[in-house]
Amino acid sequence: MATQELLIAPHRFAVGYHRQSFWNWLIGTAFFLGGLGGGLFLVSLLTGHVAGMIAGFLIVVVGKNTAHLLFLGRPERFLAAARRPDRSWIARGIWAMGVFMVTGSVTILLQAHAPFLHLSAFAANAFFALATLSALFIACYDGFLMRSSAGVAFWRTLLLPLLLFMYASLGGITLSLTIRELRGEIPPAGLESLEHGLLVANCLLLAIYFYRMSRSLPAARATLGEWLRGTYARAFFGLVLLVGLMATLLLSLLHSTLQTSVLVVLIAACELVGDFSMMMLMLKSGLFGQHIAPAYSRATTFDRPSFPASVRMP
Amino acid sequence: MSRLGMVIDLKRCIGCNACTVACKQENGTPEGIHFARVVTQEVGTYPQTKRTFLPTLCNHCSDAPCASACPTGATYIRLDGIVMVNHELCIGCRACNVACPYMNRHFIEHGLLKHGYSTDGISPMEAIKFADYDEGTNIKCTLCAHRIDQGLEPACVVTCPTDARIFGDWEEENGKLQRLVKEREGWALLPEYDTKPNVYYLDA
Repeated sequence: MATQELLIAPHRFAVGYHRQSFWNWLIGTAFFLGGLGGGLFLVSLLTGHVAGMIAGFLIVVVGKNTAHLLFLGRPERFLAAARRPDRSWIARGIWAMGVFMVTGSVTILLQAHAPFLHLSAFAANAFFALATLSALFIACYDGFLMRSSAGVAFWRTLLLPLLLFMYASLGGITLSLTIRELRGEIPPAGLESLEHGLLVANCLLLAIYFYRMSRSLPAARATLGEWLRGTYARAFFGLVLLVGLMATLLLSLLHSTLQTSVLVVLIAACELVGDFSMMMLMLKSGLFGQHIAPAYSRATTFDRPSFPASVRMP
Repeated sequence: MSRLGMVIDLKRCIGCNACTVACKQENGTPEGIHFARVVTQEVGTYPQTKRTFLPTLCNHCSDAPCASACPTGATYIRLDGIVMVNHELCIGCRACNVACPYMNRHFIEHGLLKHGYSTDGISPMEAIKFADYDEGTNIKCTLCAHRIDQGLEPACVVTCPTDARIFGDWEEENGKLQRLVKEREGWALLPEYDTKPNVYYLDA
């Protein structure tokens, strides 16, 4: 592929790519906290760790919801967003949040053996199942929401919700290990190995994602160029790859011989920095397609491949 | 059932931006928001260069991604195909902004309606026009639905000095829009995004 010169339009009256600027750091924080809290709650629920469940619950209910409400232009109308769960991922998210808030809190009380709560086994299992499903949904629905945003080509792949879910799981496991370490609890067998596996898997998934995008629409390819050798290359290689994945993995492997709380906190910090940076990069780097007449599409320095009459979303 | 849309003849467009100004005046859009705009591009290599003009507006897509993305139903498609926004239902989530590949959705930031284009606050005209808008919500081109409902054509179409904008109904049998696109091999912007736009262009 010939080297492409990326043309970012200086304003909306000029030809070129336009950066996505509608979803900013605030909604990025909401997405990040939703994934992290959902992942932490899920891991803690499945391993019977009440402290982790409470932390995950609070991160989602307080952290994510606050950031999301602050982002809305008209937050006082937020309940109206529940009107169209048949077609909007935001609406589905609102419903899932409602289910999570109820079932999550009841499940925490059940796991903590709250003396005032007496439920039948069937009811307890139902709450457990609903809490699990709603936490799982919250951990990954942001990816589906971004994927359904037709305007940004770099997000138009099923790999995105998968990637965000993997990061949510990784963040959940890392935080769960950190909380247990700080409370002097022994983590369940295999959790650290799962963390290592996820770190490697995320690296591979990013590589697959980039390969997929290298064969996608021009705006997606342009964004990929920015990640690998353009505006966001330093942030990607430095924060996402080096700090978020490689440093986390190395420190985590070191922890098996050097078991200190400081190291565990450092591992969590590296992972969270990488996770948050990845989310912010995804949002900030999104590009809208160029408004350009086909007759003049080769008049710039771009290579513009010919497309079939309609290109289906992957 | 009708499907209103437009064909824009790039052979006729001279890049005067009269449509941009007419739209601004008709709709009274806040500062920095333009429903109709003309994208210019310099093509060729010196000394064989020229400027090209591409008038753009909301494509009122038949498969509008902004309508699908809207969680409240604030964005909806009329029976005649015009994509509209009910600002009373809008929560300002900006999912529609991100969903539109053509960047034809506009968010009114808080404070934007408190000042106009002059340095002395809001003009009487802006005060009247801004009353239709809400801060923290989304607005877009309505194809001048208020004019269409009175049997008139959109302001940008009427204003164009070269008649580069041709307004009509795609569902009309042997209508002028269909005829033009067939005769001159019209094309739509960003077909790979599969939104089924109802604005087509004729090459210069």
